[in-house]
Amino acid sequence: MTRISRRGALKTLGAAAAAGRVAAWPESTAAQPAPEPVTTDALLPLADVLLPEELGVDGRRAATAAFVRWIRNYKEGADTDHGYGNTRIRSTGPSPAQKYPAQMGALDDAARARGAANFAGAPLELRRAIVEAALASAKVERLPSRPTGAHIASDLMGHYFNSSAAEDLCYRAAIGRDTCRGLPGSEARPAVLKK
Amino acid sequence: MTYECDVCVIGGGISAAMLSEKLTELRPGLKIIVVEAGERIFDFENRMQHRQRNLDYGENAWPRDFIEDQAAQGIISRTMAVGGSALHWGGVTNRFSDEDLTLHSRYGLATDWPIAWSDLETHYCEAERRLGVSGEPSPLAEDRMSSPYPMRAMPLSYNLRVLKGWADKSGIPFWSTPQAKNTRPYGGRSLCMRCNTCEICPTGARYSPDFTFKQLLAAKKIELHDRTLVRRLVTSADGKRVVSAQAVSRTGNGEPVEYRAKTFVVASGYCWSSHLLLLSASTQFPNGLANRSGLVGRYMTGHAFVGAQIELDATLYPGMNEQHSLISRMFFRCASSAPYVRHDLRVWESSAGRDPRLKDANGKLLVGDALMADWRSRTVRGAARVRAYYDVHPARDSALTLDAAHRNHYGDPLPVIHHVLDDATTGRAASTREHIVSVFTQLARAQNGRMFGVSEGNYLDHPSGGCRMGTDPATSVVDSHGRTHDHENLFVVGSPTLPTGGCTNATLTFVALTLRSAKQIVA
Repeated sequence: MTRISRRGALKTLGAAAAAGRVAAWPESTAAQPAPEPVTTDALLPLADVLLPEELGVDGRRAATAAFVRWIRNYKEGADTDHGYGNTRIRSTGPSPAQKYPAQMGALDDAARARGAANFAGAPLELRRAIVEAALASAKVERLPSRPTGAHIASDLMGHYFNSSAAEDLCYRAAIGRDTCRGLPGSEARPAVLKK
Repeated sequence: MTYECDVCVIGGGISAAMLSEKLTELRPGLKIIVVEAGERIFDFENRMQHRQRNLDYGENAWPRDFIEDQAAQGIISRTMAVGGSALHWGGVTNRFSDEDLTLHSRYGLATDWPIAWSDLETHYCEAERRLGVSGEPSPLAEDRMSSPYPMRAMPLSYNLRVLKGWADKSGIPFWSTPQAKNTRPYGGRSLCMRCNTCEICPTGARYSPDFTFKQLLAAKKIELHDRTLVRRLVTSADGKRVVSAQAVSRTGNGEPVEYRAKTFVVASGYCWSSHLLLLSASTQFPNGLANRSGLVGRYMTGHAFVGAQIELDATLYPGMNEQHSLISRMFFRCASSAPYVRHDLRVWESSAGRDPRLKDANGKLLVGDALMADWRSRTVRGAARVRAYYDVHPARDSALTLDAAHRNHYGDPLPVIHHVLDDATTGRAASTREHIVSVFTQLARAQNGRMFGVSEGNYLDHPSGGCRMGTDPATSVVDSHGRTHDHENLFVVGSPTLPTGGCTNATLTFVALTLRSAKQIVA
């Protein structure tokens, strides 16, 4: 299937609508995703505060991009797991990311109130203080196992720190928890994580 | 629409799959129709994707595996689909022991099973071969097997090797838990790739009934009518035989469907088997079919459990193979002169207390490097999860009944299950817990262990019962082959026939019993 760029599709549709030529909304166009609530670049100043220094710039970018991909691929209304011991039939709710633009805006406001141009322009320590205050205000007490929308900061942290990659970094070992690794070698201590 | 067949199997779970496979071998050409209320979800090619969606988003890996208005109070799984609960089971296949079959004669408790251990053991071997069980033999003489496991045991991960070294110091023998997971290609399925999500096995290494059904269907050995809900069984005028199963198609306009067969086998699990028999009440049988004893839906059972976490001086790496465990059968035995307590004992790697956290012990917020440092500091010592399934016995009033206040959209009352333990079990509850915690303590003492997080289950796991087997029609529903005492061509197979739930995972046992029933079903 040819990947249609979102910008290209919207441009085409806009022109068609202007010309009055849009009749039935084609299925492929109806399935176009909404504009992303946050981007990797926009989140990097937050990631610099929240994610480990030892990840390095590239590592933090990759972790942030993974979070953005998670948001992009989220489906509202999907049946959730009701495996053994869990009999409630539930569906996933609205994307937690719906709240992120406002939360990011609030971070910018907090930074401006302290003399910075915006959150990204604030020094690291100021950014950290702003995030701490935001999490306290949002009453976030725990890292979520999956993003909840309570706050983008805890969601980004939860998404990263609960990942298999983060666990490997913690233990400095190539455990590969969420990957299919095969049985050979499983008796041995996991290899030291390559830097 | 009416269908005629030799054997009508009602239910499409693991018992139905194993039975169907064996019936086609015993009598090639036998016309078998398997009727399942839920949907066939034969999308193994999507399983890896579903697994990833489950990991990332908690989404259900088996879309459409439930029926919205076909639910019961007191069940522990909503899955109604071809494959049943075994679509997402953990695959553990430990045997019961002779003590489970002789509770009354040995201990004066509950009831004896109407089957000798040597007879059941033969069928355990058969079940292990058909499911594809990998395991190592128990070192205990009482657990002697007449045939070895078909595959070598799942190798112990590094974590389990370390934990075995620790557990061995307690004096309790442990070994690799037997599982229906391939350690080599077997049964047309791949070997285990250690994906760490056994309940959503993306490689097919863990047995699930959909594989059997697909093989049988490809060979045109059975018909499978899914999305067809059997609502009633109808007997002959004299009541001695079942002549038809009245069903409704859940697709399209819900047209009625009738199955006429020489033999009917109810293989609908611990909940829906008794439910169907009770629903089949008539003027002739006001209490439902096969229920002259009044015991359909009675003696609902399972096993209770106690678990704990143990922190110990060991470097462990959570996530190497989280669902594999060590097992001990040391406590399956209990001297008849001693206070009765029997339980299995399992040890898993654990990350309890070793997850990343947002705040430290003083409530200080952690981010970035500080969070990682705090996390690392808490992983210096490893953790193990321990659990004991222990033997409990049901009272007669441990029952599945029909709830007139909750009905499906066809108007059928839905089941409600309420477990009640017998007086003897209740009387020894405190001493049982004390014993199990003492065993955990014995384990914990090795390697400077610290026990934390002791918990008890608030439900009976691996539920079974409701159509218990026995030789006396006054005190049982079926004989040892699952033939109902009241209707000569009506069988019940699988978990409903267990008189007691044992103290370990029951799937292998009721599969073995089901396989044992096959010859009688086609006799």
